[in-house]
Order: sequence, then structure tokens, then C-alpha cells
Amino acid sequence: MIGRIRTQTSEASQFLVDWMEHRTGIVTMLEHFLYEPVPKRGAWLYTLGSAVLFTITLQFLTGILLLFYYVPTTDHAWNSVSYIMNDAYFGQLIRGIHYWSANFLMAFIGLHMGQVFFSGGYKAPRELNWVVGVILLLLVIGLAFTGYLLRWDQDGFWASVVGMKIGSYSPFVGGYVVHFLLGGDAVGPATLSRFFAIHVWLLPAAIAPLIGAHLYLLRRHGVFGSEFEYTDRLAKLHERQRMEEYARYETVEEDEGEPYVGRRDRADREGYEEE
Amino acid sequence: MYAPATGKAKPVEEEVITEENVFERPDETIAFFPGQVLKDGYVSTFILIACVVLSYAAPAPLTAPANTATVTYVPRPEWFFFFYEQMLMFFPGYALISFGAVVVPTIFIGLLFAVPWLDRSPQHYNAISRPFASVVGVLVVIVIVLNMLLAVSRIMNFPTS
Amino acid sequence: MAELQKDPITRSDFLGFGVMGAIVGAILTIPPVAFVLSPIIKTDVLGESDVGTGWVEVGPVSKVPAEEPTHFVVSFPIQQVYGTKAVENPNVQDPNEKFTLRNAIWLSWKAPIKEQGRQGSNGDIIGKPERPKILDQKSSGFTESERKEIMSKLNVLSNSCAHLGCPVRWNEEKQLYLCPCHGGLYDINGGWVGGPPPRGMYRYTDAEVREDGKLYVKHKFNIEPGLNKQHPYVV
Repeated sequence: MIGRIRTQTSEASQFLVDWMEHRTGIVTMLEHFLYEPVPKRGAWLYTLGSAVLFTITLQFLTGILLLFYYVPTTDHAWNSVSYIMNDAYFGQLIRGIHYWSANFLMAFIGLHMGQVFFSGGYKAPRELNWVVGVILLLLVIGLAFTGYLLRWDQDGFWASVVGMKIGSYSPFVGGYVVHFLLGGDAVGPATLSRFFAIHVWLLPAAIAPLIGAHLYLLRRHGVFGSEFEYTDRLAKLHERQRMEEYARYETVEEDEGEPYVGRRDRADREGYEEE
Repeated sequence: MYAPATGKAKPVEEEVITEENVFERPDETIAFFPGQVLKDGYVSTFILIACVVLSYAAPAPLTAPANTATVTYVPRPEWFFFFYEQMLMFFPGYALISFGAVVVPTIFIGLLFAVPWLDRSPQHYNAISRPFASVVGVLVVIVIVLNMLLAVSRIMNFPTS
Repeated sequence: MAELQKDPITRSDFLGFGVMGAIVGAILTIPPVAFVLSPIIKTDVLGESDVGTGWVEVGPVSKVPAEEPTHFVVSFPIQQVYGTKAVENPNVQDPNEKFTLRNAIWLSWKAPIKEQGRQGSNGDIIGKPERPKILDQKSSGFTESERKEIMSKLNVLSNSCAHLGCPVRWNEEKQLYLCPCHGGLYDINGGWVGGPPPRGMYRYTDAEVREDGKLYVKHKFNIEPGLNKQHPYVV
């Protein structure tokens, strides 16, 4: 009985899988995605990048949730954040995850960048993925800057004032920068609206496709962890190169008699020939 | 030169390892699923649990409502802007503030974009075999960390009166 | 997948793409850019301000002590997002509808400058602040000449640091204004003494004492307009 149900179920699910594959091609796509061979030795290093991806996903999820209660006006913003913290069910958790994963995000971006830099992972053919990564870094910094003002408390407010004032020192365009950010010539409701629009729509809309591009380029060229992924192959290469080098010496010897070969080299070669 | 993606070259047995193709595929590979996904999952789960614990142990801060007319509040940036904020201390006066706060970071970001073209030697991935890039990288990290420490010490020593 | 089909682009096709691109491009770029950048156009090109240009009451000048500065909070009406009507309509009952910009103003009596300092190396050498004698006798009903004397001796300073806009406080120990962010120092006249600020504190340029003995100010500061073409704003 159970066997029959199982066969029937598996038949049904097989039919469903085949149907989806024929109509969408999603099964092949998933297989390509899941069964890609990736370097083994550096697996824990690559979790830095995926930790960044995970924390930014948490940002998107909890950010959307916070929007259910947050009110982006100067007279209600602080109150609504306070309501989220004190009255909404699990409000403290949702905002806590948004806050703490933002902090983790910045830390992991730093570590991820350092890992890529010191392992030389940005080299050809992966240059553009590094460039996309730097753009992503700038966008995340923009998100961190604009998000801080939204709670409209003393910390966020004054940090943003300082940030905007720094913008006013940009050579030649300082005035334009600060008036764009302020939404006028004084800090007020327009400033909060602007930061809200930038934090909630503009930058996330820009960051999402770039994350896609980052992952696509990653898959196109493969993960590059570090040279230690290639130790054996490098050893083989060097061995072959050395062999070729000796072969060259051999021919030189035949043509022009005994060339000068250092004692150690000779010993090496003899040892090698014995093998 | 333009190596295809990992694992898409010829089978291992037929391949002759040359300078060009040595980095085409690593020595050992695992399938992305389950091996890599599992490790990513461990880290992600750890982060999520840490976030949950921290949101109750150290709730996300919400200080008093913004007051533009305060004369007692001490503004402090978030920790990841500490090094930048500290850097501004070293650039007094109109010309230098522009220079330190905007021009230097812009140049730095420009250099960051240009890193793949500044360090082009294709076979030197190892940090030790390209000492210049590594030393510059280490110096940048040291400057950032020292500036952060300076900012922290300045904040801790600020007169409260 | 079928093979790629590459038809040639004819002259009329090209024209069609061009006209289409121009129309759609113009509609989807010019208005949105002007929409988003309207604060820049309004303030930098047209020279308008969101902050009301009228006089705002600060407080009685007789409350400013002889030695120490004291601060008052003023509320400037501001027209931003909520539009002109809510701000200018005097019958608005709900205070939330009328957004104001609250500023702290530091008031003190000028200390005579004995020796001009040099920006970047040392501040002014100053004497003791001089409180007008007339304030010991009365706190309102000043004559024209008395008001002039008071104004010539009064420092009306914004609490926004000239460096990065943090709120400055009076440090009694050092007898200096101290910026909490990067340690900028100013003397009681608002002159630069030390730290990274590029200039002295912002001064309210339009200030007057009226017969009721109270100080009134407008939201205008002594900002050098030509300097690096920057317009450092004051919170």
C-alpha cells in the first residue's frame, strides 16, 4: 500500500518536474546553479562573501517590515520608531535585526574586500567584478548614511548634519550637494523625505541588480580564493618548466660541448634523471 | 589569457598545464550544493542568531528626539565612520577641509576602482609575490585601524562638563 | 533557438529611433531631474530661502550676564514640503502644521580685542567682556542711543560650529566655546582660537533690540559668499 502511494507520488512529482522543466527550463537552471564545482580548500573563506549576501538580504526583509509602521515625517518619525520598539509585536527584534545586521554587513564587507585584495582575486579576468564590488560598497555606505537620519533622534540627526556639512566642503559643487541633501537651505521635513526616498527606494533599487551582476560575474569566472587552491597544479607546472629548462641545457651540451652548469644544478639534474 | 570559468576547460587527463591555464581550475573542487551551501548556511545561521540575541541583549539605540537647538549634545558617528571622522581632525582651514574630507576620499575611491589595472601581473596572486600591492594594502588597513583607535580614545577622553 | 537575423537599419528606421528616443528621453529625463533638483534650483539659482525672512523674538538682553554667555532658543518659521499656506496662514491652530526651525543662539557681551590674532596660529588677545551700564538701571524702554550702544556691545552667535556644524557649548573652565566633535575652540566673541574650524562662529547679521528690551533676529549669517564658492549652511 505504502509502496504504491510512494510510486504514485514519485510518478506525480516526476511528472511535475518534467512539466516545469519543459515549460520553464528551471530544473536545468537549478542543477547548473547547485552542482557547479567550486574550490574546496578555501570554502570557509568564501563564506565571507555569502555572509555579506545574507546580511544584505536581512536588510531588505526587515526594512520592508519596518515600513509597515515607520512614518517618514519630522513630527512622527521618532514616535513611530519608538512604537516599533515598544508596542509592536517583535518590533524590537525586527528593528534589532535591521540594526545589527547592518553593523555585521559593514564588518563583513571590510573582511570580504580584504580577502579579495590580499588573495589577488581582482586580477584578470575578474576586474569588472571588483569594480561592481566597489560600486556596491559605495551604495552600502550611502544606505548607512541615509538610514541613520530616519529615526530622527539626536544621534542620527547630528551625524547626518555633520555628514551634510562635509558635503558642503566639496570643491566647486559644495553648495549644490548640501542643498540637494537638505532639500532646501535648512534642515527640515524635506530633508527627512529625501533621505527616506534615497534610503528606501533609490539605493536599494540600484543595489539589487548590481548584486545580481556581482553573482553572475562570480559564476562566469569562478570563485578565486587564493593561490593555495592551485598548489598542486603550480607544482606540476614548475616541474614541467624545470624539465624543459634541463632539456634545453641537454641540447646546448650536445651542440657546443660542456656549458657552465653550477654544481648544485648539476646535482639536481642528476638526481632528477635518476628518478 | 581569458580563461573560461572554473571546471569548463578540458578534462584533467588531457590537459597540459601551462602558465596560461594553470589557474583555470583548482586542485580540488566540491559541488556548490551541498558542500559550500552548508558552510554558508552555518555562517548565516550564526549571524542570524547573533542578531536575535543582540537585539534583546543590546537593543537598537533610540536616543532623545532630534533637537536642533541643543547646546549639550555630543554628536558621534557610527563606528564604521570613526576613521573618516578622525581624519578630519588633521585637516584644519577651508582649503584643507575640502582636501581632507572630499578630495582625498574621492582619490582613494578612484584608486580602489583602478586596483585591477594598477596591479596587472597575471600570475602573481600570492600576497608575497606582489609585495608592493600587499604593503600598500596593509598600510591602508593600519591607517584605518589607528584612526579608529584615535577616535575611540578621543571620544572616551572628551570632557563631560 | 533560431539563428540570429540581422536586418539592415534603413534611413527611416534610424529616423524613427531618433525621434522616439528624443521624445521619450526628453520626457523621462528633464522633468524628473528638475523635480529632484528643485531645492538646488530654488536656493542656488533663484536665491530663495525656505526659512522665513521676518524678525523673530529671542529674549530680553538684560538676562545676558556680564561674564558668561547665555543661550536662547528661537523658532524660525520654515516653508518646506508642507507648502506656503500652512506656514503663512496665521490662523493655523495645530502647531504641528507649522514647522519651525529651532536654533540655539549664544548671547554674550563683547570683550575688547587688544591684539588681532592670526587665523591658523593664534586667536585674538581679548580683555574682559563689557556689559553696558544702562542694563543695571532698566531692562526695557531703551532710547535709540541706548539701543545702539547695546547692539554694538552684544555678540549674537549661532551655536553651529563653523567646522562641521556640531552644537558648540560654553566651557567655563577654559572660558572658551568648545565644539564637541573635533575640539574647535572660540573665544567669547566667537573668534577662532584653536582646532580645525576654518573661521570664527557664525554671527547673526540682522539683530536689533527693541523698546521692550528684547532682542529680535533674522535668519541671516555672516557667510563670506565668495569663499571657494561654498555656502556652508547653518543648522
